[in-house]
Amino acid sequence: MGMQGDFYQVLKEQGYQLGASAVAGEGREFMTATTILAFKYRDGVLVAGDRRATAGNMVMYDRTDKVLEIDRHSVMAIAGVPATAYEMVRVLEHSFKYYRRTQLQELSFEGKLRAVSKLLKDNVPAALSGTGAVVPVFAGYDFEQEAAKIYFYDILGAEFEGVEYAVSGSGSPTIRGILHYLNTWGERPLSASTEEEAAIQALRLLTSAAEFDSATGGVNRESNLYPIIKLIAKDGVRVMPDDQLKRLFESKVVRHV
Amino acid sequence: MYEEPYKWVEAVGNRRQYLDEQFKQGSPVVALSYDSGILLLTVSKGTPKLYEIYDRLALGGMGHPADLEKIRFSLLEMAHVEGFNRSPSDVTGGRMVKYGIAPVIKQAFEEIFKAPFIAKIVLAELGQKAGKDSLLVINYDGTFEEGAHCAVLAASKPVERDMVAYLKQQAPSPPSLEQACGIALRAWTLGDRAQRKAGETMSGPSPETTQEPAAMDTAALYAHLRDSVAEKTIECALLDRSQSGSSKYRAVTPGELGRLLPKDIGIAFP
Repeated sequence: MGMQGDFYQVLKEQGYQLGASAVAGEGREFMTATTILAFKYRDGVLVAGDRRATAGNMVMYDRTDKVLEIDRHSVMAIAGVPATAYEMVRVLEHSFKYYRRTQLQELSFEGKLRAVSKLLKDNVPAALSGTGAVVPVFAGYDFEQEAAKIYFYDILGAEFEGVEYAVSGSGSPTIRGILHYLNTWGERPLSASTEEEAAIQALRLLTSAAEFDSATGGVNRESNLYPIIKLIAKDGVRVMPDDQLKRLFESKVVRHV
Repeated sequence: MYEEPYKWVEAVGNRRQYLDEQFKQGSPVVALSYDSGILLLTVSKGTPKLYEIYDRLALGGMGHPADLEKIRFSLLEMAHVEGFNRSPSDVTGGRMVKYGIAPVIKQAFEEIFKAPFIAKIVLAELGQKAGKDSLLVINYDGTFEEGAHCAVLAASKPVERDMVAYLKQQAPSPPSLEQACGIALRAWTLGDRAQRKAGETMSGPSPETTQEPAAMDTAALYAHLRDSVAEKTIECALLDRSQSGSSKYRAVTPGELGRLLPKDIGIAFP
């Protein structure tokens, strides 16, 4: 009997291969033109991402959802090559469902983290060739530990726990410093923020990233375009609606820009 | 010896007799559409008989647990590979049954040197809109019937006919979830009682129905139910159109079932 409930293995047995092998490129820079962030707040974890997709200097799309729900209790925020990232999300989504439906129990949070690592490891040839690098942030609710958690990865599949926060993408250096500052010398740690306070910080952080990084899309009020903010708690993943983001942006963010 | 056509037909006939015998002690399964989804209900002892297959597909089974597991895994693999390679919208009950599992069950039934599947299944598919639900019943020989509104699995065709007649007579169109729970449980009880009676008086050819009055007295049904469910579990699952997210399946907890079922049923739920 093989690995019961392993959908990725089922796919591989049928000839599926993630990240086609390619000759490693020389001196390539891994482009992760985006900004995604996750941090803990009072009720769980907030995960947010800008909406811009770029190809070099070209803005390809301004309505991308980079914070993708894998199941009712976990999301993956993606930075890197969208084609590979979306494919990984599809594999993960089917894998978690397949495990639950075959084994009649949820895959453990650790099992989910390992599944992300395995995909990244198998994707290394494509990542090194410069055509498929993905640097995700994974967040979800761990029922064994009864806590929402954040993990970030390198392109080789190593996982690291972001105890308080994690960031990824080209705009992340800007906000990493801000997050450190806020969490260390702010009025109180980020993990003590209410949902509304956390959402305000996320909007301000992404606006700051867009200020200094051309590959990060900011808020476009004319088009009613706001970042994606998702909240993970014990009762599942929730999307913060645009009208709430609009209200918070206009009252708590715009006057400071 | 089975090379001769007559012997083969005889062997298949024997196999049918053998299989009919295997289902006599089985627990019926009821599938019934309600106003925001499909309800599946049975009474099980030990192993569950209701399962999630895909985002909008659920399985109810009757028969040998190992055979049901084989069928369940085949359906799960087929549905997930198809959903991944194409799209979840392409994973339909009709395709899973007609081009997937029914030919496999038929082949196993007719290969007389191999063991057949001791299983009957119902595959419920939740439509995008109310009234578009589909219920597919597959017999142990691979024959299948597609219907809407209600479907049942039971030991014999006459029992199934009685149960369906009861569901059609009792269920308003469409029933609420509370109504559907009560009606489905009474239909299960009607089927279980008819199966037991048939077991006690089994002789001669099968009648068209079990001669059970379709509108059996509810109090008598509940009395039989209370006797039948001791040390067993009422298992109930929903494909719930109103559930958020892509997966619409959920098992009904004993506490919720206690609230949904009629109060005069006389069974305590934890």
